[in-house]
Amino acid sequence: MKIRGRRIVSGHAKGHALASAVPFSFVGGADPVTGKIQDLSTGVAGQRLAGRIFVFPHGKGSTVGSYVIYGLAKRGVGPKGIVNASAEGIVAVGAILAGIPMVDRIDTGGLRTGDRLILDGDHGTVELPHVRATPVVSAVLRNRDRILIVRRSHAVGSFRGHWSAVSGHLEGREDPKSRAVREVREETGLRGLSFRTAGAPILARDDSTMYVVHPFLFDVASRRIRLDWENVEHRWVRPAELDRFKTVPRLKDVVAAVKRLSSAPELFLSPSLRAMTPNERPAVATRRPNTRPLSTPTVPAMPSTAQVVIKAILMFIIYLSLS
Amino acid sequence: MRDEGTDSQRKAMQILIALGELSSAKRLLPIMSAHVSGASYKMIGDPGLEFLEDFARDARVVVPTTVNPLGTDLAQWKELGIPPEFAEKQSRIARAYETMGVRRSFSCTPYLIGVRPALGEHVAWAESNAVCFANSILGARTNRESGPSALAAAIIGATPEYGLHTDEGRKPTTIVHVTTKPRSLDFSLIGLVAGERVGEGLPFFCGFRGSEEDLKWLGAALASTGTCSMFHLDGVTPEAHRARTKGLPSITITRRDLVAAKRSYTDGTEADVIALGSPQLSEDEVRTIARRVDRTPPRIPVWVFTSRIVRDANPEAVGMIEGHGGRVLADTCLEVTLLEHRFGTVATPSGKGAYYLPSLCKQKVILDDIDRLLERYA
Repeated sequence: MKIRGRRIVSGHAKGHALASAVPFSFVGGADPVTGKIQDLSTGVAGQRLAGRIFVFPHGKGSTVGSYVIYGLAKRGVGPKGIVNASAEGIVAVGAILAGIPMVDRIDTGGLRTGDRLILDGDHGTVELPHVRATPVVSAVLRNRDRILIVRRSHAVGSFRGHWSAVSGHLEGREDPKSRAVREVREETGLRGLSFRTAGAPILARDDSTMYVVHPFLFDVASRRIRLDWENVEHRWVRPAELDRFKTVPRLKDVVAAVKRLSSAPELFLSPSLRAMTPNERPAVATRRPNTRPLSTPTVPAMPSTAQVVIKAILMFIIYLSLS
Repeated sequence: MRDEGTDSQRKAMQILIALGELSSAKRLLPIMSAHVSGASYKMIGDPGLEFLEDFARDARVVVPTTVNPLGTDLAQWKELGIPPEFAEKQSRIARAYETMGVRRSFSCTPYLIGVRPALGEHVAWAESNAVCFANSILGARTNRESGPSALAAAIIGATPEYGLHTDEGRKPTTIVHVTTKPRSLDFSLIGLVAGERVGEGLPFFCGFRGSEEDLKWLGAALASTGTCSMFHLDGVTPEAHRARTKGLPSITITRRDLVAAKRSYTDGTEADVIALGSPQLSEDEVRTIARRVDRTPPRIPVWVFTSRIVRDANPEAVGMIEGHGGRVLADTCLEVTLLEHRFGTVATPSGKGAYYLPSLCKQKVILDDIDRLLERYA
C-alpha cells in the first residue's frame, strides 16, 4: 500500500523501518558518533540508525538536535530517511542540513520496526510493498459521557473476542459515512443518529494487513442496544476506561481523534501559537492534495508606505540643501 | 532555486521554505536584522561546532546579524579555570560566526547594544528574552527562531510570514491582573508565574507599570517558564492600546503568588557566589551594582555578566566590582557559561537564571532581591 503524506525534504530512500512509538530527541536520544539509539522509551534502544528509515511521531527537546542529525549524516551513520506524523523545526531543519529525504503527515502508529519502506520525498509518499490496505469504518457512539464498545464474536473474520467500536469493511467506492450509519443500524439496532464529526483515517496494523480506519462520532439518544451475530457483549464506558479492556489495535486513538475534533479544545490559542504547536493530526492524507511549496520572491517586497514617505522627505531636504 | 547560489544559500532557503510550510506561511518577508543563538560550546557541543565550521565555508549573512553569548569570556578563560580544549573549541565557534559576517556581539541583549528595530519592523531573532523584548517593548516583529532558522534568515535576508509577524498572531489571549505594586525582583517573579499559567498564550498584563529594564526581567522569566514570545502591558507597551481584550479569560497574580514563586525557585541554603546576568546587565545596571558592592562589600564573590561593549566602556565600575573579589565577565552569560566546576549554589535575582541554573549548570539556587542578597552576604 502507498500512504500519502507531505514532502519535507525531497529525495528517495528504500530500507527497513526503525520505529519509535514516542517523540524523539536527537540530543541524548542517539549517540552522535555511532548513531545508536540510547533512549529506552523508544523501544528500539541499542539499534543503529544507519541504513534505516527512522519513523517517529515528531521531534522534541533541544534545537541542537538539528546539528546532531547533520553530524550523523556526515559520518555516514545517520538514517536513510525520516518519517514523522507531524514535522517540527528541529528535525525538519536537521534533515535539510543533512540532505535526508523526509515525509510527514503519515500516521506513524501504523508502521513497525522491520517494515520494508519506499520513501518518496518528492511526492511525499511512503510505500509498504508487502502490506495490503483494507479500508474499514469505526463508529464511536456517544450517550452523554459514555461511549459504546462491543466484544467481537467468534464468527467474525478478525480480532475475535476483542473489544471494539461498531465497525465494518468498506467496499469499493462506498461512502464511508453511509457505511458507518448502516453498520450501527445492523449491529446495534439504533436509529436516529446525530452525526458529530469524522476524523482523519487511522492506520491499525495486523501483520501484513493495514486497516485504514475511518473514524466517526455519533450522538445517540438511547443506550438500548440489540446486538447481531457479530458481537457478543456490549458496555457503555468512559473513554478513560478503555485501558482496562483488551481492544482492537488503536481503538483509543480512534476515540481520541473524534473526541478532539468534536470538542475543539484550541479555542483559546491564537492562530500563530496554534501553528507553532506540533500538529497532532497524523493522517493518511488520502484526500488532501500535496501542499504546494511557498512561492519565493526573487525581488524584495515593496517598501512600506512609511519608508517611502520618509525617503521622499529626505530627498526633498537634500534637494533643498543642494539648491 | 536548485542551481542558483552557494550550497549554504540553497540550504538556508530550503530551511525557510520548510519552516514556512509547516506554519502555513504564504510568503517570505524581508528582515532588517537577525540575532542568532547557539554559540556556547557548552550548549551546542561538537555537533554544533562541526556544522558551523562547515557552513562558514561559504555562508555569508546579508543583514546586520548579532550572536548570543559564548560558553566563557574569551579574555579571562584561564583565570576562570576553563579547560584549554573547551576554550579552543569555543574560540573556533566564535571564528566560524565571524567568518559568516556575524558581529562579535556575544550578547543575549542585542537591544542594549544598539540593535533596536523600530515599531512594526520585521526581524528574525533567536534567544527567547531578546525575542520577547523586541516584540513587546519595541513593537518589532519576530517569531521565536532557533539558532539554525535565525542563521538561515540572516543568509537569505528574509523570514516566513506567520505567527508574530502577522497582526493576528499578536493578539492577546489572556488578561493577567497584577494586584500588587512590583519593584525589582517582583518583575522576574511576575514573569515566572505568568509563564507557568499562560503557557503558549500571549498575556495582556494590567495593574502596574515598569521601566524598560524592569520589563526586560519580566519578559526573560516569562519566556522561560512559558513559551510566550510576547506580552502587552496596559498603558506601557506600544501595541497595548490596539489590543482587544473583550471577552478574554483572565487570571490574577497576587503578592502571595510572588512570595510562593520566590520560595519554589529557591532550593539552596548558603550561596557560593552572587551571579548577576541572564540576561546580561545594561550599562546602568553594571554601574549601580558597582556602587552598591563598593558601599557594602560582600564576603562572597559577585559575578556580573554583561556585553563586551559595556565592560570596555566602564573600567571604573569593573574596577570596583573586581576590587572586592568579584568578576565582570563579557562574551558570556549566566547559564550558558561553565560554572559547574566552580560553584554548587548560586544566589541570583534573575528569574530566568533561577529557572535554568539547576538543569543547565547543576546548581542549587537562591532567588532573591539583589539588595537583600548584598545585605545577607555583607
